[in-house]
Amino acid sequence: MEALHKQFPNEDFALIAIVLLLPLIGAFVNGVFGKRLGKDAVRLMALSAIGGSFLASALTFVMLATQHGEGKLSWLAWRWMGVTGRMGQTIPVDVKFSVDAMTATMMLVVTGVGFLIHLYSSEYMRKDPGYHRFFSYLNLFCFSMLVLITADNLPVLFVGWEGVGMCSYLLIGFWFTEEKNAKAGKKAFVVNRIGDFGLIVAMCLLFYYVGSVHWDGIEKNANALLTPIKIWPIGNLSKETLPAFLATILIPDKPVQVYGATLVALALFLGCAGKSAQIPLYVWLPDAMAGPTPVSALIHAATMVTAGVYLVARLHFVFILSPAAMAVVAVTGVCTALLAASIGLFQHDLKKVLAYSTVSQLGFMFIGVGVGAFAGGFFHVFTHAFFKACLFLGAGSVIHAMHARIHDTDKSQDMRNMGGLKRFMPLTRYTFLASCFAIAGLPLTAGFWSKDEILWSAFSVKITPPMALGGMTPFEWPSWLGQAIFWAAVLAATMTSFYMFRAYFMTFHGNFRGWKIVKGWKDPHAGHDDHHGHHEETGPLEGPEPRESPAAMTAPLVILAAFALFAGFLYAHPIHVEPLGHLLEGVFDDAKRVVGERPGVEDMMWPMMGAGFAAFLVGTAAAMWVYLNKAGAPERAFAARMPGLYRLIYDKWRIDELYDATVVGMVDALADIFTMADRWLVDGVLARLTAALAALIGTLLRAVQNGRVQVYAASMLLGLAGVGWFLAAPHAEVVVDDTEVRQSGQIKLSAAPGYGYSFHWDGLGQADSKLSERSDVTVRLEPGEKKDVTVKVKNAFGLETSKTVSVSRPALPPGMKPPEQPKVPSMVRPDIPTGEIPGDEIHKLLLPKGAQ
Amino acid sequence: MKPFDLIFFGLCTLLVLLGGVGTVAAKNPIRGAMGLLMSIVGIAGMYLQLSAEFLAAVQIIVYAGAVVVLFLFVIMLLGPQATTAAGTAGTKPSRYFGAGVFLLLTLGAMSLVWRTRSEIAAIPKPPANLGTIEGIGRELFTTHVVPFELSGALLLVAVVGAIAVARGKQADPTRDEPARKPLDKGPELRAAVTGTGDGHSPHVKEAG
Amino acid sequence: MSTVPVEYFLVVAAALFVVGSVGFLLRRNLLVLLMSIELMLNSVNLTLVAYNRLRPINHDGQNLAFFVIAVAAAEAAVGLAIVLAFFRVRKTIHSDEANLLKN
Repeated sequence: MEALHKQFPNEDFALIAIVLLLPLIGAFVNGVFGKRLGKDAVRLMALSAIGGSFLASALTFVMLATQHGEGKLSWLAWRWMGVTGRMGQTIPVDVKFSVDAMTATMMLVVTGVGFLIHLYSSEYMRKDPGYHRFFSYLNLFCFSMLVLITADNLPVLFVGWEGVGMCSYLLIGFWFTEEKNAKAGKKAFVVNRIGDFGLIVAMCLLFYYVGSVHWDGIEKNANALLTPIKIWPIGNLSKETLPAFLATILIPDKPVQVYGATLVALALFLGCAGKSAQIPLYVWLPDAMAGPTPVSALIHAATMVTAGVYLVARLHFVFILSPAAMAVVAVTGVCTALLAASIGLFQHDLKKVLAYSTVSQLGFMFIGVGVGAFAGGFFHVFTHAFFKACLFLGAGSVIHAMHARIHDTDKSQDMRNMGGLKRFMPLTRYTFLASCFAIAGLPLTAGFWSKDEILWSAFSVKITPPMALGGMTPFEWPSWLGQAIFWAAVLAATMTSFYMFRAYFMTFHGNFRGWKIVKGWKDPHAGHDDHHGHHEETGPLEGPEPRESPAAMTAPLVILAAFALFAGFLYAHPIHVEPLGHLLEGVFDDAKRVVGERPGVEDMMWPMMGAGFAAFLVGTAAAMWVYLNKAGAPERAFAARMPGLYRLIYDKWRIDELYDATVVGMVDALADIFTMADRWLVDGVLARLTAALAALIGTLLRAVQNGRVQVYAASMLLGLAGVGWFLAAPHAEVVVDDTEVRQSGQIKLSAAPGYGYSFHWDGLGQADSKLSERSDVTVRLEPGEKKDVTVKVKNAFGLETSKTVSVSRPALPPGMKPPEQPKVPSMVRPDIPTGEIPGDEIHKLLLPKGAQ
Repeated sequence: MKPFDLIFFGLCTLLVLLGGVGTVAAKNPIRGAMGLLMSIVGIAGMYLQLSAEFLAAVQIIVYAGAVVVLFLFVIMLLGPQATTAAGTAGTKPSRYFGAGVFLLLTLGAMSLVWRTRSEIAAIPKPPANLGTIEGIGRELFTTHVVPFELSGALLLVAVVGAIAVARGKQADPTRDEPARKPLDKGPELRAAVTGTGDGHSPHVKEAG
Repeated sequence: MSTVPVEYFLVVAAALFVVGSVGFLLRRNLLVLLMSIELMLNSVNLTLVAYNRLRPINHDGQNLAFFVIAVAAAEAAVGLAIVLAFFRVRKTIHSDEANLLKN
């Protein structure tokens, strides 16, 4: 162990590189060479890549755990870029990965569950021609997910975020030759994109206000987010810029301010809503069931959709600064949980039921992190991965068996064609049952502990708002909010157990309704068949009776079911068996200063757990009664009595249609407008205008180039005439030389000479007419004086022209004297010395002073 | 000014300008050539007035005696086709345009001279040998001997070029193979060659 | 020897030049075109000689006129040869027919 610690020190923990690179290499090899390698080699490559990654993750976890979860293992790959911050500092953005307790746990989940799903799909997709492509994408997904969770800063996380989005698109639309699948992939990607916008906005806000984007930096400087930011009125809007009647409506008396933390948190939550399928961006997840079932298991149950929860938990130090945002998160979570659960009550497609169940459970996770139970919410991520993956894989096993029989994708997933499968697929049945117990919340199962942790936190939470700065009153949680969330979540939990057991009973109990599909097939096991010879479908569909899946598919089911049942004891908070909790303490410690317990709730934990237990009992019993005892008759009666409501819920509350009518319709209309603009303006006007212009110029120019010599001669003559006119006309140009104007005030003006030119200057201020006929004159100016000088030019033909220039001398700055004029030697009488002077020296005496 | 000078000048001007207009306006190219001759003679007269006697002689000998004769040869070679069809002097508006331009520019030139008439200095007395053969010859063979020789080469080249262009393709027994016919210029050309039988065709009757 | 002002000769030369150019531009007969060119060359000669008379330092003007005459003769010869060749091909000496390169 010591050797390992020495080999991989905390600051340069290169094992992370191994964890990341193995799936990447697997993706690359399978993608590029997969076709040539053959199915067995592809399977080996993919499984070994993810398996190796799992081993490295396990080693990382152990190494971290031996430090009692205090340390943080990080590895810097390279410096990506530096962004200039608000105060001119350089904010470094590095490609850096770090592992703390939460990340290590998540890594184990991703690689472990990923490995099991790889194993499962090696059998599930055995007959698919795109085998290598599938594993390439799957490995690429694991790589992206690992990048996301090991990222040390927000940009690298965003890289992983986008990567999983892209892989999700690729995998949902794996069978892209069918339009339905391609559209589902597109929908997932586009809806995710809307969320990504929120993430980018959050990143920019963090760059600006906090000046750091890596977790440690944000945590340290998180208080910088407690600056009030004015969000309304924006920009130039004010009472002065708007007309009076608008101003009274739109401009409030006090500008609306929120803390920066709220803005960042809400922007981040938009991203999470996109990725983790919360209201309003959950619509892609049910459609994503168009992809192969292992994809649904891995991406849309265990890992990708939990990225949003991970992000909130990771940036909890931002969220706790904003109770408003936390309230938004929690309320959105509970609303989503309720909405999705209600839709799941009536779905017929097994995978759709599980999809809505996922959305609902994600809502639970967001309730957890929304009320400040970050560890609890994260733990639900952890357990949900196991039981949801097990459920999906079990469903896949069922569908695999049904598909072998029915060969129609939609019909093989329809629960109305299933029933009584417990006879044929016992292992699948028991693992499915175990996971159903877990998700419904049978006491002592994993789901029970994690869900209960969330429920209790919602009930008992009290959020301390941050201090009021800058004249702001931060949002405070109403005292009833936590309890309201609790009871709504209990309702959702009831619905959860109801629809999960509905699915279980419809699939595994009763009589197998799949015989009806096949013409004339006799059920060798049943005593009597109810619809013998009744053909519901057109066309015979041959197929064997459903059989248990091979070991490669059932082994992961067993492992996952075991975890689903027993993993709860890793963080069973009420009974204080919480090894994982101890590990995660170090990560979420600082949340304790904000998230606390309401006074007077300490003794209510066990009674409140009873509410959860009651939810489980009620839901399960109701499902058993409706679907096991009465074989679904009450549901049909309900459908008959209230067909409108039934259809509404069955149609997912028509939210998709609402989006189509509003948002998508808006975008379509905009696109139509632009198409029209493109067709009319660009193609019609601009293109034709340009073409017409070019044609016009061409026509004009072509007239000169018609090959007739006389036309050319005419052009020559025109040119000649122009030159002649230029030469015959006089031209007056004046060159002003003012290099000495500052010292002596002299400006030299010279007129351009020409053949036979004669000049005449005006405005010189001198009466000397002789000087004014020269071509060069000098003008003297006083400081600050301006003169207009005109020169008249006459050429040999007697044609005249003139030009005026104005010359000026800059005024002196105050206090300066004009430079001294050079003294003109004055004529003074020379000193004539008296006395005897030799004759030849007399002439010298008459010279002026200074010239002797 | 001596009146005789002015009258002589006027006469020459008439010759020049009328000849020029006649050249340009005549339909019959023979008339045009005659106009050109008139103009050249007028110019020669003006040279005399300008103390360029040698040049006047050269003008008559070369221009009037060679160039105009060359023109006449070609006109007669072309025969009746030398006269282009009616309405060839441009369209009516362009004719008036041309006349207008001529008028305008002439008036412009005259006005330029008129404006500066007060400054027309007396013509300086020329040196004795201005325009004499001796004077020109001295300069031609000393200062301008290079252009002189080059113009000789130019004339040679012009002669060769004229012959080459005007000759056309002839049947050359040494060039083409005996069995091959010379390049066919088309039946119309053949008709023209054999058709305009005024005997002045420079072509040898083509074999075959 | 002559007392006519030199400027008069310049005007005549200018007028002759204009006549020549107008004729060149407007007539379609190739022969007339060539003759118009001769007129223009003559006008230039006249100008040169007139200026030489004005400043008789040397005989430059007259020498240049001499060369102009020589070149004009050569050019007339070649031009007439081209007219003949053209006539052989197109059967006319209408300058508008010289349009094989057009369009």
